[in-house]
Amino acid sequence: MADVAVIAKPAAEGTRQALVLTEDRLGHYPEFRAFFARAFDLDRVGLSEAGFVRAPSGMAYALVFVGRSGEPFPSGLEVYAIVDALEPLDDAMVDKDLWAILGWMIGGVGAPWSVEDLQATGRLYRIPAAG
Amino acid sequence: MTVNALESIEGFRDKWPFAARYVRVNGWRMHYVDEGTGDPVLLLHGNPTWGFLYRDVIPPLVNSGRRVIVPDMIGFGLSEKPAREQAHSLDGHIANLTGLVRQLNLRRATIVCHDWGGPTGLGFAMSNPERARALAVMSTWAWPTPAAEFHTRLFPWRIMHAPLVGPYLLGRHNVLARRGVYLSVVGRDKLCREAQAVYEAILPDAETRLLTWVWPRWIPLDDTARAQARFAWLEAELAKSRLPTLIIWGREDEVFDAATFPERFKRLLPHADGPHMVTGRHFLQEDSGPEIARLIAAFLDRLDKRGGA
Repeated sequence: MADVAVIAKPAAEGTRQALVLTEDRLGHYPEFRAFFARAFDLDRVGLSEAGFVRAPSGMAYALVFVGRSGEPFPSGLEVYAIVDALEPLDDAMVDKDLWAILGWMIGGVGAPWSVEDLQATGRLYRIPAAG
Repeated sequence: MTVNALESIEGFRDKWPFAARYVRVNGWRMHYVDEGTGDPVLLLHGNPTWGFLYRDVIPPLVNSGRRVIVPDMIGFGLSEKPAREQAHSLDGHIANLTGLVRQLNLRRATIVCHDWGGPTGLGFAMSNPERARALAVMSTWAWPTPAAEFHTRLFPWRIMHAPLVGPYLLGRHNVLARRGVYLSVVGRDKLCREAQAVYEAILPDAETRLLTWVWPRWIPLDDTARAQARFAWLEAELAKSRLPTLIIWGREDEVFDAATFPERFKRLLPHADGPHMVTGRHFLQEDSGPEIARLIAAFLDRLDKRGGA
């Protein structure tokens, strides 16, 4: 499930960034914000560049961090699939990738949060990607 | 588009024949129904429902001689659905309700509260006591400590609305309207026949479901919570309130569990009538709508006979 890797910025030519998930309140539980700050060295990088991950499908995703006056950075996060510029998304594939990215995030945040709880929640609510 | 989607659901109009009315509150478009004549009764829903939750409560209350007003909270139902999390706050939702009541110039209103309709409706009543006649509470809470043991658990509650997980599960997959409501009623066949499609269709796209993961984040879990002070105020004001109050609870309620929550309301409001236990989990109106209407009407009849409030 956590077959997600941080990667360098992929080539942008011939691609577009398709918005697939938005989080307005990344610090609702501060350990989630801390995870992304660690994973992408955000205290140093700040807003200068997005973070990038490769998901199990092989597709790259851009994580665009959002700042908000008066709040610790990053306050929000937008997830973009990097896809062929003129092609529609494969929504089922994106959904599986997002589920894997969530598992990677929960694993990185660490205890008391657990991938097992995430998987159980996915199964309870019958999320296809949770199996 | 949402209205068209609802109209296409077989039998929807039979269950929801009420005229749509709109008012602008705090800059948002609020939908409500307004049926009957008499002293007003406000029926307030919570997350992720809308006025439809009260479809079996409205007609008997109207027939009992009451004016029944059922607003859809901003962010739900046929009301406007803001696109940003920052558009929502508990105080803002109390102010939205206050805006509706003042524009309709309601007096002697009975405030019937369920789920987040509790903190908003009770907050309205405590800040506008001259407009409130009585209260009724069902599967809700009004104090700053964790709402329920259920709300402190990582699985399934806190992880469901965690950063990014909430927008994924509740946004992309609409799990609260789909599976959440289903798991929180007793009569699941009836829900599937009558209401499940309606609860899903009213939240057709991920961005329309924003409030389904924003409200859980407003439940105070510790002293640092955003709504801590408002809930502390609410509890203190209720403890001083002498408003006639009715407590109705679902026997099978596991969210605001039936063993402790109605009794806690009774301790907070010792003069309250009840608790009256009915068949139902968290969404008890789905299982016991007509009985809930009878309990409210009988309670108000008793107040009328006493010449109360």
